[in-house]
Amino acid sequence: MTDISYLLLVMLVMTVATYATRLTPFVLFSRGQERPLLNFIAKNTPPMVMTILVIYMLKGVNYISFEGVYTFIALLVTVVFHLYKRNALLSIIAGTAVYMIAVQM
Amino acid sequence: MIRSVIKTTLPILFGFLPLGIAFGILFQELGYPWYFATLMGICVYAGAAQFMAVGMLGAGVGLFEIAISTFFLNSRHLFYGLALLNSFGAWGLRKFYLIFGLTDETYALMTTITVPKEFNRQRYYFLMTLFSQCYWVLGCSIGALASSSLDFNTEGMDFAATALFTVLLIEQWLKVRKPLPFVVAFSSSCISLIFFFQHMLLAAIVLSITTIIVLRFIKSKKND
Repeated sequence: MTDISYLLLVMLVMTVATYATRLTPFVLFSRGQERPLLNFIAKNTPPMVMTILVIYMLKGVNYISFEGVYTFIALLVTVVFHLYKRNALLSIIAGTAVYMIAVQM
Repeated sequence: MIRSVIKTTLPILFGFLPLGIAFGILFQELGYPWYFATLMGICVYAGAAQFMAVGMLGAGVGLFEIAISTFFLNSRHLFYGLALLNSFGAWGLRKFYLIFGLTDETYALMTTITVPKEFNRQRYYFLMTLFSQCYWVLGCSIGALASSSLDFNTEGMDFAATALFTVLLIEQWLKVRKPLPFVVAFSSSCISLIFFFQHMLLAAIVLSITTIIVLRFIKSKKND
């Protein structure tokens, strides 16, 4: 097997595996049916996933270092901006700018 | 509509571009032509899995193992579709693409924002997905193509993803206004961090969905 054909096969396998994870719920639960338990799960997953994603993004941070301090400050800037202005883009740009400046200093 | 979609997906651009560039640079070290990084962004389109693939390609890992690892790494997506079952419209090419392009970031946006009334929701989602993938493919290509000659220091730009999820978390709170799902997810995350640090994401999602189902069951028993 040549290098390129190995790479192409890996990509094919990964494409199928990734698509399978995304497609499965749509195939299992076709639309239109009334399923109270499923609706209940569907309603509750977004707030739960968002909470988990934030924690997941922060899990690699070393909290007893400068990284911990400026991650905290950048998060604070994001949250405060968002609570005051409620403009998602502005909050994200502000927080990211603070973080980038701190990292690159 | 295009302008509104670009504005909505701009945070994704800030997240995907540096991450894609990082992937491209890493991929370039394997010695393949740059356009394979582009191809991978187009057909695989999964951030974490692509990073994992670089290591596995370098080690020459078997296809079966790669398939299983990719599936498990992305298995959180099994639960993402549940919240969007009725949002993607009728089966057709567009729906297949919307599902193909379902990432953490697009999922987070779609379940939080309200599509402006004047636009068709599925068409809006389609453009969101398409643009997001373009940002990712662009990042992968730039990284692989110009890994040695990049002037702009993107270090720290990946914080945009954290900021995006934080903002969407606040929006979810303002929308839901019930502490239960947040408390359940927070506790599940803490438990998962202790026991499954590496696979925390999937563990926390499974644990919190299970918990909330059990809580509902207990509550309905009480009411009987």
